[in-house]
Amino acid sequence: MIYLDNAATTFPKPEIVYKTMDTFYRTLGANPGRSGHKMAVAAEKEIEDTRMVVTKLFGIKNSNRFVFTFNATDAINMGIKGLLKPGDHAITTYLEHNAVSRSLHGLEKRKVITVTKVKNSQDGFIEPDDIKNAITSKTRLIVMAHAPNVLGTIQPIKEIGRIARENNIIFFIDAAQTAGVCEIDVNQCFIDMLAFTGHKGPLGPTGTGGLYVGERVTLEPWREGGTGFEPASLSQPEELPFKLESGTPNTVGIAGLRAGVEYVLSRGIQTIRNHEQKLTGKLINALKDDRRFILYGTMDISKKVGILSINIKGFKPAEVGVILDQSFDIAVRPGLHCAPFAHQVLGTFPDGTVRISPGYFNTEADVDQLLTVLDKIASEKI
Amino acid sequence: MSDRYARQVLFYGIGNKGQKILMEKTAVLVGCGALGCTSANLLVRSGIKCLKIVDRDFIEESNLQRQSLFDEEDISKNLPKAVAAQKKLQKINSRIQQIEAIVVDLNPSNIETILENANVVIDGTDNFETRFLINDYCVKHGIPWIYGACIGSMGLTMNIVPPKTPCLRCVLDTMPPFGTTETCDTAGIIAPIASMIASIQAAEALKILTDNYDAVSKGLLKVDLWRNEIKKLHTEDIKEKSDCITCKQHQYEFLSKDRYSMTTSLCGRNAVQILHPNGSKLDLEKLAARLEHVGEVSFNSFLLRLKLDKYELTVFPDGRSIITGTNDASVAKGLYAKYIGM
Repeated sequence: MIYLDNAATTFPKPEIVYKTMDTFYRTLGANPGRSGHKMAVAAEKEIEDTRMVVTKLFGIKNSNRFVFTFNATDAINMGIKGLLKPGDHAITTYLEHNAVSRSLHGLEKRKVITVTKVKNSQDGFIEPDDIKNAITSKTRLIVMAHAPNVLGTIQPIKEIGRIARENNIIFFIDAAQTAGVCEIDVNQCFIDMLAFTGHKGPLGPTGTGGLYVGERVTLEPWREGGTGFEPASLSQPEELPFKLESGTPNTVGIAGLRAGVEYVLSRGIQTIRNHEQKLTGKLINALKDDRRFILYGTMDISKKVGILSINIKGFKPAEVGVILDQSFDIAVRPGLHCAPFAHQVLGTFPDGTVRISPGYFNTEADVDQLLTVLDKIASEKI
Repeated sequence: MSDRYARQVLFYGIGNKGQKILMEKTAVLVGCGALGCTSANLLVRSGIKCLKIVDRDFIEESNLQRQSLFDEEDISKNLPKAVAAQKKLQKINSRIQQIEAIVVDLNPSNIETILENANVVIDGTDNFETRFLINDYCVKHGIPWIYGACIGSMGLTMNIVPPKTPCLRCVLDTMPPFGTTETCDTAGIIAPIASMIASIQAAEALKILTDNYDAVSKGLLKVDLWRNEIKKLHTEDIKEKSDCITCKQHQYEFLSKDRYSMTTSLCGRNAVQILHPNGSKLDLEKLAARLEHVGEVSFNSFLLRLKLDKYELTVFPDGRSIITGTNDASVAKGLYAKYIGM
């Protein structure tokens, strides 16, 4: 199979990720910290080592402010629901994943908060001034994707972060599509919270992820329970990361995440990005002037991650997805990509698009093969 | 015993004793179409204790030609078949306390609760997949079930009384691939064959429910009312020969979902995808010919599209299908069973 669905989850993982998880679970599979015996301490150390390694992806200086979660959705819920109070106003965009849209909408529907959605340009970018104009005296949060998952367009987060900081608003970035493939520095970009998932760019397993909680942020924990810390107290401990990390963590996943992130760092984030850019650029160049295809979002590969949304005229994206899968053994992601509003602004609702997302382990031959097949499908009139 | 069941009690095979036993029994009817309407009617009139009617469909005008419990008013009220049948049957015999309408798609997740307590299961379905599922459940729990199927002027029926008789998979080892069988909606059907097969099913159910197992018909009965043929295929020897995966090896591939189709709602779209774990190798040209009277059909080597009033079915060569116009998996499966065949 040619796997071009890396925006959903990267596949395959580096060999070292599989090996690390196998070895870890066979030799160090204790409950971290809780019991105090040798294996428990070793498992705990694995988590703390991973915490240190992952913070390098984002320039986080105080690793205690980095909390492990089970994925980006988990982290986004933790951030949004832990921060916002009755009467608060939040600003977001139409390009967001449902993890952001639905978390906000749930609070809005229960009349806890109000929400403003900022429109994007036709090629998929948010104008910082539009964010600025949406600010009210009640605005407490600006939350948006670094690169939205339908278009992959890299947003001007530094400029928007500055606006947030100047107006004393919390700036929360969903880095699901950029962690591990774009250089990110939470300090330079004025980021107060950052959510990411381990199974995409960081090349780790599913069930891992994290939330950075900046110095300006205090969150109410939405999951309370055992932390292995201050067990006698009835209250959840106030210290980070314990405050937000209740329950037995996904230790084996976290071990795998460390292997994945170390692999990314050893190859270099820029190297990985260059590779994905090259493959995406090849796709864009081959398709952009072919009238049988519609391409969405900017064509400037320096301003996007390795995601390309297209449609073939005369075919529904879901049909193209099935044809690619069953006739040609190529995996892509058709549909709405859990981002219905993004497709509404693109004019591709409700059928969506075919999202092609090459990863670090794809080759130019993979892309050539896909292009041949796309041409074949587009040529067969129905 | 009141007059109500007097003629049936007079009959030598039933008697007072048989009637008493019958009035303690539960039958579950899966599928309330042409076969189901007739057998439900006969069983409710006979005075069983409880009838559960399981059906996922709503009544359409083209049903009225053969589905004897429904009328034009039911259509104007847009009633599910199970509900319309329940209302009608309750009027026919108000003494039966339990006539239950269950508007669902019978599947591996709910079959254990729906068929629980059944003394007999009557097949009124329109597809092999559900029959193979019923066969798994009934063999596993030792419940008799009565296979029935009709198309055109031809009908089939067979009693499966586990562990005594061969089961469905002794006779039919593998399910016909999706999209390769004709259906009533593509090949048509005349009403008398359904009435006949359902009447036989109801008679067999009466025998089973009154513990008259000696009288239960053995083998597969095939009737063609147009060609004037009645054939009985004796199946006793099949069981001994067979290494049946279900009734000899006790592997329940449909109950465990291993061989059962998967339906997924497509992310945010008003569409459902149906996949079969085995896959087919469909000739889309043949399928197009079969569907030409059903709706607007177009195809190329990758896919076939069938446009209906409210829905569109896209079928791919491996039998996979995307059904647009609904988010409801049971509606999608109903359409697939009707037009493509499963």
